[in-house]
Amino acid sequence: MQWKRITAVAATVMLAAVACGSPSSNSGSNNTGGGNVGGAQEKATDATAKGPAKPIEGAKSGGTITVLSDVTPDTFDPTDIYYVDGNQIGKLMYRALTQYKLDEKTGKPVLVPDLAEDLGTPSEDGLTWTFKLKQGIKYMDGTPVKAADYAYSIKRSFAHDLFSSGPTYQLQFFKDGGKYKGPYTQGGENYAGVETPDESTLIIHLDKKFNDLPYYAAFPMFTPIPQAKDTKKNYEQKPMATGPYQVESYTAGSQLKLTKNPNWDPNTDPVRYQYPDKFDFKFAQDTIKVQRQVLASAGPDASALNYSNLDVSLYPELKDPSQLVKGPGPCTITWPMDTRKIPIEVRKLIVKSFPFDSWRKVSGQAPDSSFPASTILPPAVPGYEKYELPGMNGLGKGAEDPAVAAEVKAELEKLGKSGFELSWYFSNDDPIATQVNQLRTQVYEKAGFKVKATGVPKAKIRTLTGDQNAPVNMGKTPAGWCSDWPSGTSWFPVLFKSDAIELGNSIGQLQDKALDAEIDRVADLDPNAQLKEWSKIDKKIMQDHLPLVPLYYSASAFPVGKNIGHAVNDMTQGMPEFTSLYLKQP
Amino acid sequence: MSIGSPDSTVGIEDHPASAEPERAKGVAHGKSPTRIAMDRLRKDKVAIVCATIVVLFILVAVFAPLLVKLEGADIGTFNPDLVDAYGFPVNGPTPAHWFGVEPKTGRDNFARWVYGARPSLIIAFIATVSGTVIGVVMGLLAGFLGGWVDRIISWVIDFVLSLPYLLFAIAMVPIVEQLRGGSFNLTPAEQAQIRFFVLIFVLSFFGWAGLARIIRGEVLSLREREFVLAAKAIGVPTRQVLFKELLPNLVAPIVISASLALPAYVTAEAGLSFLGVGLIEPVPSWGQTIATATNWFKADPIYLWLPVLGITILVLALALLGDAVRDAFDPKTRR
Repeated sequence: MQWKRITAVAATVMLAAVACGSPSSNSGSNNTGGGNVGGAQEKATDATAKGPAKPIEGAKSGGTITVLSDVTPDTFDPTDIYYVDGNQIGKLMYRALTQYKLDEKTGKPVLVPDLAEDLGTPSEDGLTWTFKLKQGIKYMDGTPVKAADYAYSIKRSFAHDLFSSGPTYQLQFFKDGGKYKGPYTQGGENYAGVETPDESTLIIHLDKKFNDLPYYAAFPMFTPIPQAKDTKKNYEQKPMATGPYQVESYTAGSQLKLTKNPNWDPNTDPVRYQYPDKFDFKFAQDTIKVQRQVLASAGPDASALNYSNLDVSLYPELKDPSQLVKGPGPCTITWPMDTRKIPIEVRKLIVKSFPFDSWRKVSGQAPDSSFPASTILPPAVPGYEKYELPGMNGLGKGAEDPAVAAEVKAELEKLGKSGFELSWYFSNDDPIATQVNQLRTQVYEKAGFKVKATGVPKAKIRTLTGDQNAPVNMGKTPAGWCSDWPSGTSWFPVLFKSDAIELGNSIGQLQDKALDAEIDRVADLDPNAQLKEWSKIDKKIMQDHLPLVPLYYSASAFPVGKNIGHAVNDMTQGMPEFTSLYLKQP
Repeated sequence: MSIGSPDSTVGIEDHPASAEPERAKGVAHGKSPTRIAMDRLRKDKVAIVCATIVVLFILVAVFAPLLVKLEGADIGTFNPDLVDAYGFPVNGPTPAHWFGVEPKTGRDNFARWVYGARPSLIIAFIATVSGTVIGVVMGLLAGFLGGWVDRIISWVIDFVLSLPYLLFAIAMVPIVEQLRGGSFNLTPAEQAQIRFFVLIFVLSFFGWAGLARIIRGEVLSLREREFVLAAKAIGVPTRQVLFKELLPNLVAPIVISASLALPAYVTAEAGLSFLGVGLIEPVPSWGQTIATATNWFKADPIYLWLPVLGITILVLALALLGDAVRDAFDPKTRR
């Protein structure tokens, strides 16, 4: 279920076990069904959106919504949040400069201003961005939000030693990003990258052009934090809320209770609602147990939901289909191949031999929550264009078919690579990972490969596979990727450029100067012009470089209790949209 | 101490050698306690039924490859065609798969059940035998030699009994893997094998202490008995006294403890595997299957029931047999 917790870049290590497949992460149903893979996000923005958000029909106020979660978000510090669940829960408490509003009908996200009046205005050279700030915003204790607080939270995000899980684009793109170490160091209060000439203006200076800054500004990292209230690592215990809810109590690792924020003004907020009185998040629960509870909806469980995908084994217990909320997710899951260690001809044979059909079943992929993948970009990201290279559509028997096995064997011999050794790690205390490993081993040995699979404890596998120079040639992490925002710029430059190896994000460890240059060229284009180009690069990488076996696109299919109203999937995160939930009978 | 107490003159003339009480006619003369126990067991219907069941299980385990061949499947083959896209088995039992197939992987249930009997029985028997041998030897030595030997052994027994066995079982695996060259140099099959031996070791290591304590107590009371004193007096070597004079008198407690340990170890193996610290794939084991099958019990009940019934019947049979053995050896039971 790791991918549930990730958005991307710095947190790559966490992506690790993804491809080994955990059953609970990959199940569900798609409303469109079949080969049609959900609706794609379009890079749509609406700079004029105003609060209040249009009331939801039939919504009632009051009551407590309980979220029974098997996964535990690592942090709720706005600067440190990077995983999708932290992001989504954070949306209840923290308002940032911008935010995604889900289209009423299609569910597609539209980027709208949140605490900013607009979506930012870039200067001519694209290196200076100006955001106009809304006035009259208050924290939950009634104190007004100042422009300096926005500047401070940006400064705070540079203290990456302290907030090591947080997103890192500011280090790459903002002025002096590599040098500035945050407000806690000596002289740290002075940072040239951010300016607040008056109470309604925030100016951000960049080192490099960063067209996606308005998208980045939707991260909770950009919520205002008053310097006087900053308690560093303890800030998450009593954070200054600007959203409709505030922290009542937080016990790290087990429970987060939220209660209404009386100083939240719906007239300034185009996205959020405030229907339930309270939210009660309970973490580290047993997946199957809580999902069963939610499905049964007995007593208080009717007002509960779980945000992991429904375990396939529980499908027979799903009596009311409306209790399963479905929708596309922002991730593609792959099985990376180290291009430095495996020649391209052999990589093609590896893909050819891969037993997609069996793998999907053994690893517990439900057909309608995990769509067979043929591209790098998932359909939820603009720039996705469907194409299928021969034999690479995420389906097929691979070398389980004796004819294919014989063919691959012969071709390996022809290449002089008979008995080519494939090596990977798997966690030997996870029954599904061990079964997947047996399947792969059997199939690849049949196809004439030699397999060296190393079983390691689950607790260690992330560290091992996260090492880009690990002594294995398959399955290094990131094994999958989820977009930080709906654009190819959060995919290709991060994953496939040569410097990604050093940053620990490389899928396939590609080192190709020409490809680097091509990616850089496209990243500098106008956002709308990029769309077509990314899909070309997508295809080019798969055709000429083939650094991965494409497995599936993620999708959500999580169970909700019978009393929960307006449960929708937020496709930017693959999570429930918490801020618009209500209770049918509070 | 003298041989025979002063007032035991009655009957000595009739039976000068054994001083046995007079018997009713028809009762065989001079039967050993073991013979008597076996006779009693043979008349005990429950014991016979249970013994048959246990033997059946042993036969199943021994002939597992043959049985599986008869069915035409094997334990490792994935049959994804036999499960639907959600992982649910498409059909129930078929001629090709007598008990259906596993969800998700489509591996044959019957084959995995039959092979699953092996680790349970092998581990339980080896652990019982080694635990019993060690326990008996330690108990004999401690009880008979006394002095510092007794003090050391008793201390070791107390020490072992005070160790937390679950923690020990979990901690042993990485240690042994390290000794075998680290997990990086081991194939999955080797890792599974290590778990297997670690389990045997842990179970016998924690099993001997209790028995040793019982044996020690028995020996303490026996070693002052006349026949032991006599043997010592005429210069019989210690080893012979221990194994020829004392051991035959300890058969009852040993057999009882062993017969009670067997079912306990079967459950312990399944329990540890269920918890994920026992056997791991690719070794098939009932405990593991139960752990996975609990999630599927509504969709594929047979998948869960097979190992559950296997363990229940085996443990019940072993336990009842153990009871019968205990009763048979106990001179106080009259039936």
